[in-house]
Amino acid sequence: MREATLSLFRALGAPLVAIAITMALGFLLVASITDDPVQAYRDLLFANFDSLGNFALFLNRATPLTLIALGVIFAFRAGIFNVGGEGQLYAGAIAATVVGVFLADLPAVLLLPLAVATGIIAGAILGWIPAVLKVRLAVDEVVTTLMLNTIVLLFTSYLANQVIRDTAAYGAVSRVVPQAIWLPPMPGVPGATSGFLVAVVLAVVAWVVLFRTEWGAQVRAAGTNLRFAYAVGVPADRRIIGAMLVAGGLAGLAGALYVLGIGHRFEQNFSPAYGLVGLTCALLARIHPIGALATALFYAMMLNGAAYMQISTDVPRSLVNLLTGLLVLLMTARLTAGRRG
Amino acid sequence: MTGTDIILSLKGIAKSFGDKAALKRVDLDVRRGEVHVICGENGAGKSTLMNILVGIHAPSAGEIVLDGRAVRIPDPIAASALGIGMVHQHFTLVPSMTVAENLFLGRQPRRFGIFSDRREMVSRAQELIRRYNFGLDANARVAQLSVGQRQRVEILKALAFDAELLILDEPTAVLTPPEVDELLEVIDGLRARGRTILFITHKLREVKSVSDRVTVIRHGESISTHRTADVSEADIARDMVGRDVFLVGRKGGGAARSFGAPVLRLDRVSMANPHGRLLLDHVSLDVRAGEVLGIAGVDGNGQTELSEAIAGLMDIQAGSIRLAGRDVTRASAAERQASGLGFVPEDRLDRGLSVTMSVAENIAATNYSRAGILRHGFVSRARLDAFAAEKIREFDVRGAQPSTPVGWLSGGNMQKVVIARELQRDPALLVICQPTRGLDIGASEFVYERILAAADRGRAVLLISSELSEIFALSDRIGVMYSGRLMRVLERAEADEATVGYLMNGGEERAA
Repeated sequence: MREATLSLFRALGAPLVAIAITMALGFLLVASITDDPVQAYRDLLFANFDSLGNFALFLNRATPLTLIALGVIFAFRAGIFNVGGEGQLYAGAIAATVVGVFLADLPAVLLLPLAVATGIIAGAILGWIPAVLKVRLAVDEVVTTLMLNTIVLLFTSYLANQVIRDTAAYGAVSRVVPQAIWLPPMPGVPGATSGFLVAVVLAVVAWVVLFRTEWGAQVRAAGTNLRFAYAVGVPADRRIIGAMLVAGGLAGLAGALYVLGIGHRFEQNFSPAYGLVGLTCALLARIHPIGALATALFYAMMLNGAAYMQISTDVPRSLVNLLTGLLVLLMTARLTAGRRG
Repeated sequence: MTGTDIILSLKGIAKSFGDKAALKRVDLDVRRGEVHVICGENGAGKSTLMNILVGIHAPSAGEIVLDGRAVRIPDPIAASALGIGMVHQHFTLVPSMTVAENLFLGRQPRRFGIFSDRREMVSRAQELIRRYNFGLDANARVAQLSVGQRQRVEILKALAFDAELLILDEPTAVLTPPEVDELLEVIDGLRARGRTILFITHKLREVKSVSDRVTVIRHGESISTHRTADVSEADIARDMVGRDVFLVGRKGGGAARSFGAPVLRLDRVSMANPHGRLLLDHVSLDVRAGEVLGIAGVDGNGQTELSEAIAGLMDIQAGSIRLAGRDVTRASAAERQASGLGFVPEDRLDRGLSVTMSVAENIAATNYSRAGILRHGFVSRARLDAFAAEKIREFDVRGAQPSTPVGWLSGGNMQKVVIARELQRDPALLVICQPTRGLDIGASEFVYERILAAADRGRAVLLISSELSEIFALSDRIGVMYSGRLMRVLERAEADEATVGYLMNGGEERAA
């Protein structure tokens, strides 16, 4: 296990340094805007922990981020640049909602697993399409996953507006799924979805699958050197498709858990670009599952903290965009420097 | 030798990249009008030294004295102004242009300062060709020339800059034996005209006849300088490696050996590229148990396609492949490996290894269940490490822990990792391509021993190499490929360099 701990440390070390530098530079920036930079920074970092309510919102924010990041990690480890997290998320969310709304008469013990499974499958299908196109026809996966995002977002918008719209509510939202299949809150943290626990468990499972199974080794072989994988007899095509099924499935699960645990209905625009942020989390964690849990928590903290900061001081929340941009820059610089050594 | 005055003198040249010393201390005197060979293993620092001479790298320490004057060579343009010309191992010609255009690329004769003067250019090119007696057509497109002819264009290009000192970097690596002979004649002619030649190689044998002196470089230091006539090949090899070298070979000339049934059988195998050109043209061959069949040929004559067709990595359009009695023509790579194929690809970085993965994972690759690494379906880290540690010891992979990324190893140790993985299954057929490309003598020795040991255990070995010396040293029979065809398969006893070289150039069998 010592090796595993070390590799985790290596995975976390670099982001921590980058985060520290970003925070230091950000503080200078905040100090130039406001008279009370310490207050602003305190809110940004710690307001999440001021109340149990804030903490619950923080965990709710981290849940989809973690799951999408894990999915992206599976894709990246197989050498597929999957930027379709957003579409897969929406597919999972709408599928779970449709099942919940239309089959509301089913008993909860059946309906809940069915809604979750449908969400996973919907996401997985969206992962499968670009994977097969890539493996069979060498179609670039960046284009296909990106295009599928648009297709799914527009299609879900149609469904939410025309088919399952809650006409009594304001905005493009679906009818509410039956309360019987709402996920229970996290023990001890009312308001936080227990979906977060699922995300934590899956982060560990993802690590085991990628680094402690032959399947994982084959996925990584295909991802690091495809021609090598073919030559040593790894069924690389199947592994790539498999990894993309998992990637889409995890993002789909994120969507389903959001609906069942947080939103309780499908809301058009429920995602503040979770797909993209999840991708960034995965990259910052150097596509390490446990590291991704940490970066997802960090991003969730920043996203929510910025809102509190904006309320209490005159620092605009868009500061957070600047900080994350800086962070990405520093991390990429680190990655390149690391590659040379 | 025309005299003893020194044209180039290097004093204590050193060069470091970061904290890695590529050259520690090189002292070298080159006399005017001599052919001076620089010998050294891969990684000894030959290329770095030459790059310093042509201004690509600046030395970290030491002095370059040219014609009795200490000089600095900041860039390649300065080097050519000083009369130093270099012919690189990889050609720098534009294939779609003519010989004359290539010679004067970037410095065409001008008319009125703007228009390029074609006629003047061609006549000057022809004059150059005539003067050095190179037998080239100034108006021929480079794409149509043979490799040997292209090399002469490269040499002419350097001479056209009025190079006094001509550096040739591994010029024989790409040539067939007859072309090597022609190159040596060219060099002889240049020496007769008073040019000084610095000749870099790790194959002394080829240039022994034409060279005057030889300097050996080892681990970034100049070890010795001898008159070529005074030393044997073995002396040079000893200086290069730092100890006595015993390159193994197939003993007994193959006459006393008896071989088993064919393990691999190719019947009229053909492969075409998407444009319909035949990459493999009705290739038929057998490799019997206990036999090493060597395939010689200049790179790019179908050897890669042959190996990949056998390994199941490229589809063939016609013919059949049988492995250990089974028709595997349509079988996947994994199925062929299960039927007894071991495959060492020609480029270990391309197909042989995943450099960012660990040594352990590269050796394990497809051996997880076979080597008992799995426990309850999961990879047992302890068993994986133990398995890798055992292979690292058995195959003498230096500087490697099981968790070391394989890309951190040297070329020779990477090759050992590939061979360790493929031999782990004790395959009935070992297809091994360019087994010592980029390897030093020590690692080559080791690889040769493993190949011969496999054959002695009764395994069939198909050895594909463009290194003739290793084909001759290891093979029981020798096949020659040219333009996708297997020209002929010779018994070891009837194969000599002249015949093989002739076939490598596409010559049909000589009248008996």
